Amino acid sequence: MIDWTDEQQMVRGAVKRFIDEEVRPHVEELEHGDLPPYDILRKMFATFGMDAMAGDRFDRQIAREQAGTAAEQKEPKGGDGSGLTLIPTIELCRVCPGMVTAMGVSMGLTSAAILAKGTTAQKVRWARDLLTMKKIGAWAITEPGSGSDAFGSMKSTARRDGDGYILNGSKTFITNGPYADTTVFICKLDEGNPPEQRKVLSFVLDRGMPGFVQSKPLRKMGMHSSPTGELFLDDVRVGRDRLIGETEDVSSGGRDGAKTTFMQERAGVAAMALGIIEECLELSVQYAKDRVQFGKRIGDFQLIQDKLARMEVARMNVQNLVFRTIEMSSIGHSMTLAEASAMKLYSARAATEVALEAVQLHGGNGYMSEFRVEQLARDAKVLQIYAGTDEIQITHIAKDLLRR
Amino acid sequence: MESMNVIVCVKQIPDPATPGALGADNTLKRDGKLILDESDSYGVEMALQLVDAAGGGEVSLVSMAPNGEVSGMRTALAMGAAKGMLVSDPALQGSDALTTAKVLAAAINKLGGADLIIAATESSDGYTGTVPEQIAEVLGLPSVTFAKKVVITGGTLNVNRQTEAGYDEVTCPLPAVISVTAGVVEPRYPSFKGIMAAKNKPLETVTASDLGVTPVGWAGAGQSIVSVTQAEARAAGEIIEDDGEGYAKIVAFLENLKVI
Repeated sequence: MIDWTDEQQMVRGAVKRFIDEEVRPHVEELEHGDLPPYDILRKMFATFGMDAMAGDRFDRQIAREQAGTAAEQKEPKGGDGSGLTLIPTIELCRVCPGMVTAMGVSMGLTSAAILAKGTTAQKVRWARDLLTMKKIGAWAITEPGSGSDAFGSMKSTARRDGDGYILNGSKTFITNGPYADTTVFICKLDEGNPPEQRKVLSFVLDRGMPGFVQSKPLRKMGMHSSPTGELFLDDVRVGRDRLIGETEDVSSGGRDGAKTTFMQERAGVAAMALGIIEECLELSVQYAKDRVQFGKRIGDFQLIQDKLARMEVARMNVQNLVFRTIEMSSIGHSMTLAEASAMKLYSARAATEVALEAVQLHGGNGYMSEFRVEQLARDAKVLQIYAGTDEIQITHIAKDLLRR
Repeated sequence: MESMNVIVCVKQIPDPATPGALGADNTLKRDGKLILDESDSYGVEMALQLVDAAGGGEVSLVSMAPNGEVSGMRTALAMGAAKGMLVSDPALQGSDALTTAKVLAAAINKLGGADLIIAATESSDGYTGTVPEQIAEVLGLPSVTFAKKVVITGGTLNVNRQTEAGYDEVTCPLPAVISVTAGVVEPRYPSFKGIMAAKNKPLETVTASDLGVTPVGWAGAGQSIVSVTQAEARAAGEIIEDDGEGYAKIVAFLENLKVI
């Protein structure tokens, strides 16, 4: 793949028009007024038939599973269709990257966690509504004392209680936490054994369950359109039907499921980075043409040209990574975790550097909200932190190299 | 009506978002990628709604464009039109409105005609605003212009026709040709599924001779564009500070323009 196909360009054009009409007029409320992004996202899904497509795809997969003969058979990968999910991500990130965070965690991460290891009944019960954005999902792994060392320092517990479990613990920095209808809660099975030996289990919680409290949105540096919160579980009683897989013996515990989720998340970050970079570059080129200092447009100064050229190199590189993802998906290949880490590391750094340079190029105007690069620079920074910090990505890449 | 077939005349134009360029004969260069004229998206939407309301039938497209260009037609197909016919012929370059109408009318006939033919009141790049009525004349069909509301009841076309004072209520038998105003309906976004399906929908490309039309091109158009000049920049407006009596000044200004 060396460029977007005609169909993909038509999709980009249509999504761009939707964003101009439905998102841009609400950016102020989304960014600074605590307007949750979900209704606009649902409208986008309904407008483009993304909800119906996701629902149909899910129903076909369930039908295959129920037929039994081809439980492992995946949805046939499809040529031009492969870029369809990434295009809204790229276009939304040009304006409101937080909306993509909210969307991706709900219909991507949370549903993927259930789809990867859940029983067919659990998929039908929870995943379909997440994929169609009918319901909002949260994926809760991070805790006040466990970030990069997610499993090692995890304190949340499940204790057996008759045929069910009692869940306790607190989670933080949970995207969609304040509003989620469906939350995947990751914790350790406390059998009285040392924490490092405990199995990792995942449970599905519904909003309003006794003992389950979802906080108000936390204030943060960027991604304001993505509500982030804390979750508190105090003796939440759940049946076995809420344990993902309905068994404590999911292969490699819950770690495998979480790692599959990490991989998908990291690939998505590259598309987000591309949107931010494209927008910053476009705004910067325009500003370099319009802004006059010392009697010349600033684009005529070599130090400004250097910034623009570096931004373009970053854009080309990240676009190529996104094209590679689409191409791999279209032929049914999946990326290794180390590849996804490398892609995420590069893209996240590139987006932050480009956005900060865009602020610099805009000078004082760049520091003002009105010029939009200010917001994108704040938003971009988290790409280096969430979905695994830069440092964690580096560790994964290096370990993979040294294992060969 | 239980079923209704509608043909929409769609123009594919250079993207207004990018600066246009003129050829040596002062006509707009159309050699790049063309897009669906936004004013035609209303006609496509209207056609889709009428077919839906009828409970059956299909929407077809006719267009005339150089270099076999179908990008704009694909957009209309992605919205839901079923098929299209493009007339593309170097001999048609520079055709005037009447030749365009003859070509489109012939294409409409080649598609087998329709219960209703819809066009925009005028294109966004040429603005002659005469093609729809000329098509009606060539086809020998009644024509209703400036339709702002269209309803079909029992095989009769009911149109609210925009006028300077308000609107006329017009009825007319089918088949007929109408031109619809911008804003008559809200054009839908093409769904992703629609976009993917559009590339496999039938799009036939024909030449003037396939249609039995004699192309006269620019030379036979009986017109020439002598020169093109930049539109005058709009003069600065008058700023009135509101000292509590600002409304009176606005009323006086509007009275002076004879708009109230």
